[in-house]
Amino acid sequence: MSHLHVPDGILPAWLWGSGLLVALVLLTWTSRPPAPQRLAYRGALGGLMLGAMAVPLGPVEYHLTLAGPLGVLLGPTGALQVAFIVSAILALMGHGGVTAIGLNTLILGIAAAIAHPTYRWLASALKPPAAIAAATAAGQLVAGGMWFVLVTTALRRPPAGAHGHPHSAGMEWFAALAVPLWLIGLLVEAVVAFGIARFLVRVHPALLPPPFGGPHTAAPAGEPA
Amino acid sequence: MIQLAGIDYHAASGSTAWHRASALTKLLLAAAVLAVAVFARSITLLLAVHGLAWLLVLTSRMPRRLVIAAAGYPIVFSVLFVIGRWDGSWETPLRLLARPLTASLTAVWLVGTTPYPDLFAPISRVLPRSLGDGLFLTYRALFALLSRIERLWHALVLRGGNAGPPRRRLALAGEALATLIVHGFERSQRLYETMLLRGHSGRICGCRHYADVTRADGWVAACGAGLAVMVTWLWNAR
Repeated sequence: MSHLHVPDGILPAWLWGSGLLVALVLLTWTSRPPAPQRLAYRGALGGLMLGAMAVPLGPVEYHLTLAGPLGVLLGPTGALQVAFIVSAILALMGHGGVTAIGLNTLILGIAAAIAHPTYRWLASALKPPAAIAAATAAGQLVAGGMWFVLVTTALRRPPAGAHGHPHSAGMEWFAALAVPLWLIGLLVEAVVAFGIARFLVRVHPALLPPPFGGPHTAAPAGEPA
Repeated sequence: MIQLAGIDYHAASGSTAWHRASALTKLLLAAAVLAVAVFARSITLLLAVHGLAWLLVLTSRMPRRLVIAAAGYPIVFSVLFVIGRWDGSWETPLRLLARPLTASLTAVWLVGTTPYPDLFAPISRVLPRSLGDGLFLTYRALFALLSRIERLWHALVLRGGNAGPPRRRLALAGEALATLIVHGFERSQRLYETMLLRGHSGRICGCRHYADVTRADGWVAACGAGLAVMVTWLWNAR
């Protein structure tokens, strides 16, 4: 469900404000300027992520995020930066909120941050396509859970200016709609990631990071993956 | 995808007063409209600001399909939220729909009337260097990929990539995306060499036109004044 970017004015200010603060602290902390070559590579993959997110694949504006594969290819810090840039550009296009850039970044970033070490851990036991699919699913699982917790927390409080309390049936309807979408999203992302790794293993295996404890491969784009 | 390309084209080729106004004043107005939309407790004020957002978008002569596409996304999410937050009143759903729609329309007005170098230049100055540079490079990379993605999609359809069970189709779509990753990697090598040749100093600087104030900025100031009047009169209204 991390593919549904949170728009403006839906979440309470304390929630999006703290999300923005945490995201900015993390981004500043990890913003050591990379080699220009690496920056250009991040830009290229960010463009791909943006392209993937701008193409709706079905109803309710569902689209891919590619957060898992990008996390594996760029590493957690690089992917977090790309997630911020992509969330910012999409927010300017009316796709996700400007005030929710921090939360949208954290949701995408956590999917990427979990996918990278999970892939490296699994790659010593599984073939890369299976390892990246499992790593992507793990990332999406946590990111989707985080999205669900954020949204249900917001649902329990009245929006600014409103006073009524929500009916419990509304929450049940929301969960009934959101959980299946999240699970479908998780499967779709994992299978697409499988295809990505299957192609990269054949054509450019050095782009994939080595497993933990495995032989160190040639570093792509001027920096270890 | 079409929406991104369409908005970018309109920003660069439009000729309304909004297109001639400086990026900085438009950014300030958009931020003010967004702040009022998010924090206003009065439904009357919220609807008045919503009207202002429509006025901005309609006078920017943005193609209708782009406006509808931009407005559609927050509506989908808001409807989910309205269902979850249903309390039996008409005011809560109205708030939950008007807030994101106002913000989304204002953002599209800003991006649809401001070329991206002017828009990103002030934003990149307040961000860490790698993020500021990343904004320019990512946006540029998207447009370098657009035609390639379209060709790839046509090739996939023509060669039977859309046939078979979903698992096969999705894995093939993944392989197609992987060709773009390899292309992106090779392109980044070329871009790096170009940056070196052009004397890259460690920072991509946007142009300084974003702060050039023109007569057209009077319209932006007028809208800002209108917004201030609305807030003053309607902040405590129902």
